[in-house]
Amino acid sequence: MKTIPPPCPEPESGQKYWRSMDQLADTPEFRQWLEREFPAGASEFTDPVSRRHFVKIMSASFLLGGLGTLGTGCRRPEEKILPFGKAPEGYIHGVPQFFATAMPTRGGAVPLLVKSHENRPTKIEGNPEHPDSNGSTDAFTQASILGLYDPDRAQRYTQAGHTISKEKALDALTAIGSSINAAKGARTAFVLEESSSPSRHRLLTALQFKFPQAKWAVYEPVDLNVNRRITGGAPYIKLDQASVILSLDCDFAGSEADTYRLIRGYAKGRKTEKATDKMNRLYSVEGLFTLTGISADHRLRVPTSQVVAVAAAIAAKLAPQNMQITSLAARLPLPAGVDAKWIEECANDLKANAGASVIMAGHRQPAAVHVIANLLNAALGNNGKTVFFSEIPQTTVNSDLPSIARDLASGLIDTLVILGGNPALTAPADLKWADAQAKAKTVIRVGQYEDETFAASPATTLSVPQNHYLESWGDARTSDGTLVPVQPLLAPLFDGLTELDVLAVLGELEVKKSYDIVRETFRAFAGAGNVEETWKTFLHDGFLAGSAPKGNDAPLGGDVVVKAFSTINPAVPTKDSLEVVFHRDLKVDDGRGSNNGWLQEFPDPITKVVWDNVVLISRKTSEELVVKNGDVVEIELGGNKIRGPIWVQPGFADNSLGLALGYGRQTTKAGGAGRIAHNVGLYNAYALRTSTGLNFAVGAKLTKTGETHVVACTQEHGSMEGRPIVREANKDQYEKAPTFAKNFDLESPNHTGHIAKEMVGLPPVERPAGIYEHPYTGYEKRGGQAGVTVKTILVSQQHQWGMSIDLSSCVGCGSCVLACQSENNVPIVGKDQVIRNREMHWLRIDRYYSGAAMKMASHLIDDPQAIFQPMLCQHCENAPCESVCPVNATVHDEEGLNVMAYNRCVGTRYCSNNCPYKVRRFNFFDYNKRSLDQLKGPYYGSPLTTSKDGEWNLLRWWKNPDAGTRPDDEWDLLKLLKNPDVSVRMRGVMEKCTFCVQRIEQAKIGQKVKAGMSGDVQLKEKDGTVPKVACQQACPAEAIVFGNLLDPNSRVSQLKKNDRDYDVLGFLDTRPRLTYLARIRNPNPKMPDYASIETPKTLQEYMKTQGSPFETHGHAGNESHGAPAAHAEKKGAH
Amino acid sequence: MADSFSKELPVIPSVPKELEREPLVLNKRPIGWISDQISGVAEGKTPKWWWALFIPSVAITGVCFAMIVYLMSTGVGVWGLQIPVAWAWDITNFVFWIGIGHAGTLISAILFLLRQKWRTSINRAAEAMTIFAVMCAGIFPLIHIGRIWLGWWLLPLPNSNSIWPQFRSPLLWDVFAVSTYFTVSLLFWYMGLIPDLAVMRDRAKSKIRQIAYGIFSLGWTGSNRHWSNYEKAYLLLAGLSTPLVLSVHSIVSFDFAVSQLPGWHTTIFPPYFVAGAVFSGFGMVLTLMLPMRKVCHLEEIITVRHIELMGKVILATGSIVGYAYGMEFFIAWYSGNPYEKFVFMQNRAADPFILGPLWGVEPAPYWWAYWTMVSCNVICPQLFWFKKVRTNMWIVFVISIFVNIGMWFERFVIIVTSLHRDYMPSNWAYYSPTWVDIWQFVGTFGLFMTLFLLFMRFLPTIAIGEVKGVTPQADPHHPMGGAKGGHH
Repeated sequence: MKTIPPPCPEPESGQKYWRSMDQLADTPEFRQWLEREFPAGASEFTDPVSRRHFVKIMSASFLLGGLGTLGTGCRRPEEKILPFGKAPEGYIHGVPQFFATAMPTRGGAVPLLVKSHENRPTKIEGNPEHPDSNGSTDAFTQASILGLYDPDRAQRYTQAGHTISKEKALDALTAIGSSINAAKGARTAFVLEESSSPSRHRLLTALQFKFPQAKWAVYEPVDLNVNRRITGGAPYIKLDQASVILSLDCDFAGSEADTYRLIRGYAKGRKTEKATDKMNRLYSVEGLFTLTGISADHRLRVPTSQVVAVAAAIAAKLAPQNMQITSLAARLPLPAGVDAKWIEECANDLKANAGASVIMAGHRQPAAVHVIANLLNAALGNNGKTVFFSEIPQTTVNSDLPSIARDLASGLIDTLVILGGNPALTAPADLKWADAQAKAKTVIRVGQYEDETFAASPATTLSVPQNHYLESWGDARTSDGTLVPVQPLLAPLFDGLTELDVLAVLGELEVKKSYDIVRETFRAFAGAGNVEETWKTFLHDGFLAGSAPKGNDAPLGGDVVVKAFSTINPAVPTKDSLEVVFHRDLKVDDGRGSNNGWLQEFPDPITKVVWDNVVLISRKTSEELVVKNGDVVEIELGGNKIRGPIWVQPGFADNSLGLALGYGRQTTKAGGAGRIAHNVGLYNAYALRTSTGLNFAVGAKLTKTGETHVVACTQEHGSMEGRPIVREANKDQYEKAPTFAKNFDLESPNHTGHIAKEMVGLPPVERPAGIYEHPYTGYEKRGGQAGVTVKTILVSQQHQWGMSIDLSSCVGCGSCVLACQSENNVPIVGKDQVIRNREMHWLRIDRYYSGAAMKMASHLIDDPQAIFQPMLCQHCENAPCESVCPVNATVHDEEGLNVMAYNRCVGTRYCSNNCPYKVRRFNFFDYNKRSLDQLKGPYYGSPLTTSKDGEWNLLRWWKNPDAGTRPDDEWDLLKLLKNPDVSVRMRGVMEKCTFCVQRIEQAKIGQKVKAGMSGDVQLKEKDGTVPKVACQQACPAEAIVFGNLLDPNSRVSQLKKNDRDYDVLGFLDTRPRLTYLARIRNPNPKMPDYASIETPKTLQEYMKTQGSPFETHGHAGNESHGAPAAHAEKKGAH
Repeated sequence: MADSFSKELPVIPSVPKELEREPLVLNKRPIGWISDQISGVAEGKTPKWWWALFIPSVAITGVCFAMIVYLMSTGVGVWGLQIPVAWAWDITNFVFWIGIGHAGTLISAILFLLRQKWRTSINRAAEAMTIFAVMCAGIFPLIHIGRIWLGWWLLPLPNSNSIWPQFRSPLLWDVFAVSTYFTVSLLFWYMGLIPDLAVMRDRAKSKIRQIAYGIFSLGWTGSNRHWSNYEKAYLLLAGLSTPLVLSVHSIVSFDFAVSQLPGWHTTIFPPYFVAGAVFSGFGMVLTLMLPMRKVCHLEEIITVRHIELMGKVILATGSIVGYAYGMEFFIAWYSGNPYEKFVFMQNRAADPFILGPLWGVEPAPYWWAYWTMVSCNVICPQLFWFKKVRTNMWIVFVISIFVNIGMWFERFVIIVTSLHRDYMPSNWAYYSPTWVDIWQFVGTFGLFMTLFLLFMRFLPTIAIGEVKGVTPQADPHHPMGGAKGGHH
């Protein structure tokens, strides 16, 4: 009989100590607690954000961030304390603080300035101080803050499926580390993500030295640095220097790395102050219809697999002396339907702009296209002018994912370390990664989620929750090589570890804390001088000036070219052997964003589909295969099959299917996607993706299943119906008639539209007197007639806010949409509600295709032009919403904002009906308080009939009307995210864009404090006191400009004087404060497709019914007055 | 002398048979019979048909309130509303019921002022219908708002914050117009009831009935003074109600006309809405009266002539409505406003068979709604040109149902088709109702029927005193005149 040893004698009095964690873990209570499969007290483990815990975390993070703006990097020893006895220096309660940090991306970083309210980060902005940033970000970065507060994040350490303490996990890591060390790394493999972190580089070098026999692999499911791997140096492109740009399937505005920087460069080259200003020209060769293709002046539509043939043909024209290129071009016939003249003229244009052109190759393209781009840039003398390379040291790895998978499968690897990433989801299907991973004896998994990789080998995994970058210490380099810090804004919410921490522990390095590691790395960069001071400056500024390595040309050895060219497979897709393109999704990326509700509900910039992935197909191919939108089809490729809904995409290449990565994920008890991502999208494209065709593959078959699937789409109608909503012209038309944008419009000559009389030398005509004197007529009159006594009661003499959006610059990337969502606490509503047209975005981006009006729905055209228009509240001076609200809930303020008093709104929705722009959003349910499960019809749970945790919801509401029916963990975390300066709207009220009134007010308060007795309370752009609104700040293209119309020198006043300025639906006399600058296209008259786009296609549609805007015509010439330009000038002058 | 005198008397030629007006009460029934017949409905044993109608009606009323509770507790999202279609069945139903509420006051006020004696047989029931319809109508604006519990903010109540409603908003005008209309209609109806309530009181056998009718008949004795005051007050109220008939629906139409939405922003709306309201009101009166006269055996009081006359009103107003539809098209074309033209042609009329292909446009998403409306409202009533149709009670009943359907669709077409595709094509969307929308609407029929059945059961459905007044027998010199025919 086994004798149970007596428990260790405990001291009679005083504090009790455990001798080890094991002793604690051995107590019967703990055992029982552990063994209940779903312990009733599961929350004891997984709910670390109880109020008490929150206070702890917050107080800890106060310490962290509370050292004033300068010393934020200095971290005191970790001690959890209670709220301040004495406030930290420089801290004012309620005033947000900003910390410089960076979001690490694949091989790069986005420099950031993060807003923190009471030490919880609430909003991400770009770091405008950074030499390579204007303070903008991309959409992914904007949304990344939601990931911090994701209740589905991994919150515990586990070993063999059991939750363990952090200490125990660290012990286990150390033990594994020493056994790896003892074996010199034999039978050990490391799988890492791409990273630009010098610290990681340093640690890896150290570890590789320590574990010489270990296998190291870097795996990215979407590899945006393919060029670097081929050529050893990543091209760093300055698009603002380029006059002619050729994109070879390079979606620099959407799915490539560094979009925030490239868009800015591109947009800079397209801004025109006057008609004669120079503009760049963009040629795009692509299969998918991408943001770049939409922006392009000339777009050549070929299947993705055929881009290389076009690239080779262009290259052969530009570098006829290069035999390798000409022979490749000879080997690859031009794809069907491609006009040789297109190639020739494009090449001529590039040649004519040698040194001021750039050829860009996209990440989806094979090495050959990258090599061609590099060769051509060199041949055209672009290197050093538009294209730069720099010697950023890269970690060399000795293996790759396929070979590690093979070794795992054959039992050659005992210890597998997966640092970040989710290979069980993203690895090529042929590797059968999940099975392979299960064969390792020990798996160390550092990840932010208990995802597919976590669930793949539960019995052998030691799982470590990975910190979000906003709770981590780290470093990174932006694409130009500048060193940027990754600073935590709060202590880790779930007490996780960073990649650096884990590497240091495994390598048994002396310095184990990531903060110390980063500092140590920094020493090498700091150079001579006071390291401490440089370090402080580094953290404060968010970058280390001058840390970019020196540049060089791309090394292009003959080997690289031969190897790249020889692997080109000239298979041509047909309708029976379709091409499949796996593309990085513009919402959920490669799946890393799929549990992010903002990203899921962010309308795909082109398809406008949300909460789903679709099978993109061209109009022609869909007709040949007899499939239509929503039909579920089965796609077979190399024995693998997936099923997904068809989506006919105008402008898509024929015989090609576009499959978005990162969807079709599930959540099981063992782990998985998370509750947001669960079952979003019918298919998981990774199931079809093999290591031979990571980006595209030819040979797929499509069969109809007969089923249909409802796809949620935020924009059902794609055509503008010939209406002058977005106005555009070609450059030469613009030069001939610079004021063409005002000369659109039709029916009501009294208001705006058509060339104003004063512009053609006739005396202006006054507006007819209104029946009802609007408070703003006073303000108007002041501008028009001298000496008129005006009512000033409602009118501020200091500020009159206005906005201008340049449609020439906007590429439709959507950063603004997410920035607005983040800034203004805009809730997500879920797929069911989007299908019912109830999405809540205050700012939407309308995407119009040009094509046969009204027939658009059924006969999508093959080569459309598309345009984007950010649409938000226009802040009409004559707001139609205001006059119909029966309770005065939407009114004008004295600074020209159309404001919503949420508290006063009873929700008649009349304002929305009367809004011609339909930019108002209504809370049909308590979107903030309902989880997505509770937003699925047709029966929406009423609090009268539902309960949560066994408590009747009505009773719960009675006790605490604040909490809603959301699960507690969602509620507790998501409320940390909210911007405290913006009301969280309840159900039944209308909401809409406020021009970020909270930012304006904050700036005004700041200015008032500063002004003191001097009374100078006006915000001035030249002093930098005029706030940037959220969308403006996030816009990489600087297309959105906000400012004071009373300041004649403000950028917005200047833009309103631009002759491209126009009001949307101006004839309604709404007098919007938000006006647009017409889009200018810059096509090349020598191109063969010029004939069809000599006039932009939307303009062709308009002219069909309304006549040409390039001449004064009809009643317009006789009667019109008060054109928007004149109107704007009045505003500007006074 | 006597002879010569009598010779001098002019001979009054008797009216030829074919020109003789049909009497308003048939079969020369004595006055007492009228009292018996009308009061009998409310006095006898509760008939089986009444229970058969009443029980389901109450059940459906229950559904109505269940839907309201669900809506209030959950959110307006339980309806199919969305952006851009932020009003749909809710306001459609509101306007529909308000429109029905027009016939009663028109019959009781305008026809009274115009000395149309035939109104007496139908005015009581029509007024009751008006009141119940306005009650049903009133539900919708109240519950359609997002925060129902704050609906009272639309009332101009003095408060410490000095926040007033916004008097420029047509929704506020609605509040005043509808509440005024309801109040005046109720007063008018009640006042007309007083003499008849006294009849009921006098005839009542049970104590409870005596007390109840006694209280509500306000001590009516039928004295000359009472009658004289009554007539004066009735005339005054009729005068007061007459402008209301025109104002209510004009103001309801302002909800649309004052906006700037193509399809709503139309100056023809006020008269067009009033005509439509009268049209739909008479449609509903017929729908109710035809079965009522049958089951309550009132064919001799609500005669075929009454039905025919109502058919003529429907024909006239239906034609006005048809004219308005045509005029909307003309103006849309004549104004040259492409947005207007789009609404009428491409949002409404373009069907997939004739007009769509003819104009070369895609069929309008709601073409079926538009053409349902036109068929029911414009084409159907044209059958009333034929006397055979007007006098065939079955056909009249069917047409009256069509009129009801058509007028519901008219409001649906105006509201939904205009909203679902307006200025910015980017936010166009298709609207579909949810089960809550449908049951909410059905539920109001339950409420309406419940109230109407209660009215039939407990109150005289026809103005006894007034009907008697228009019979020849009411003339004391008539052979059957005075009280000779029996007690009353």
